[in-house]
Amino acid sequence: MNRPARALSHGFWTCLGCRQLVRVKPKTHTCFCPRCGARMQGRVEASLMLTWALTITGALLLIPANVLPVMTVIYLGAGDPSTIIAGVFELYHAGFWGIALIVFIASIAVPVMKLVGLVILCLVVQLGLNVPPHQSMRIYRVVSAIGRWSLLDLFMISILVALVDMGAIAEVAAGPGSTAFATVVIVTMFAVRAFDPRLVWDVYESKQAESSTQAMPADQQP
Amino acid sequence: MEQSSQYQERPEVHQVAWKRACHQCDLLLTRSHAPVGQRLQCPRCGAMLHRNMYRSVAHTAALSLTGLLLFIPTATLPLIEFSLFSFGAENTLMNGVMSLFAAGYIWLASIVLFCSVLAPLGKFLLLGFICWGSAWVSMAKPVAKALRWYHHLQEWGMLDVYMLGILVALVKMSDLGKMTIEPGLYCFAAMMVISSATTVSFDAETVWARLARRAQIPRKPVVEPEEGAGEDPDQNSGQGSGQGTT
Repeated sequence: MNRPARALSHGFWTCLGCRQLVRVKPKTHTCFCPRCGARMQGRVEASLMLTWALTITGALLLIPANVLPVMTVIYLGAGDPSTIIAGVFELYHAGFWGIALIVFIASIAVPVMKLVGLVILCLVVQLGLNVPPHQSMRIYRVVSAIGRWSLLDLFMISILVALVDMGAIAEVAAGPGSTAFATVVIVTMFAVRAFDPRLVWDVYESKQAESSTQAMPADQQP
Repeated sequence: MEQSSQYQERPEVHQVAWKRACHQCDLLLTRSHAPVGQRLQCPRCGAMLHRNMYRSVAHTAALSLTGLLLFIPTATLPLIEFSLFSFGAENTLMNGVMSLFAAGYIWLASIVLFCSVLAPLGKFLLLGFICWGSAWVSMAKPVAKALRWYHHLQEWGMLDVYMLGILVALVKMSDLGKMTIEPGLYCFAAMMVISSATTVSFDAETVWARLARRAQIPRKPVVEPEEGAGEDPDQNSGQGSGQGTT
């Protein structure tokens, strides 16, 4: 057999806290890492279910985050609340198209891409789709790397709220959409954490095993 | 899972000394550590398994101390100033959090507080403690706990995102009033760079190896970690039995 050796089938678990390889008894459900003391399992417990739940929560919260205003700039007593996309357009019309692009990527493209990526990953594992695992891993890495940059807009709002506070002349106030947006970012970050990429390889391996037994049943028996 | 039961049916018993499994694709490997100055990558999925930096512990200790010192001016000095007609307002690191809190956005304020102040500060403190504490056997337990905390806290420190937020705010309000950069911003930028450098230079495996090495020096009776129900790592079991016989 020249199939790559997998830890779970050899009775090994990897501690996700310190990445120590631990040999476990065959029917252990959960145990504690002897080196760092973290609770460990062969695969992250209820990974797929948790990822689905958090992804769906994030997708639902994305609606109020984009519909409700995130920020109101009041200048000389007048000002209208603006949503995320309105803020991007405002920057674009003011001539700062570079900054507008950054804000657009961070606050609109990244959350949507993250949710789409998570749904694809969940579907791959759930339905056992025949997707090359390297593509799934690329999605997983991109999704886990870009997530934190969506908090950009919220940091900007918190800075502006403190900075522009001159009563009737000029004032920046946060809007209810910002709370929803913050929750989207946090929830999707937790969703990425909950997803166990090894499930993708489990699916891939079981597909490989199936196809190899179908292809050569006669002469190759283990 | 159905898949896992299927794998356990294969009766392959290799007498290979497996040292590590890839945490992203579960591939078993016979190497656990990269040589100094090199990286160990998973041959199948390409995940970075271990990066062995030159003098990791000393560099991390120095960098985290630098970060802690830089935190003092960053938190106290104003970052940017906004002036309009004759009015002026300054922004410090905590100012935005407090005004959001006062406006009733408690959840938002706590997220901003956590990601821009508490998590970076916690990272510096934990790393400093880990690097310093790993020199003593008696600190092994707290250091192990600190390493776990650091692992969870790692991705929540968002100084770089906050820096970009400052830049966007600078540009966005530049047509409304006058924005000026204050000395705190330079300290903040330096702290951001130091924070990234600390994350890169830190290597948990080196600390674990250091703890194991300290535990072997028989200054006092070595307390073996409780290995409940016979689960023992293959590395430590060899060392433990070796000590028992000598």
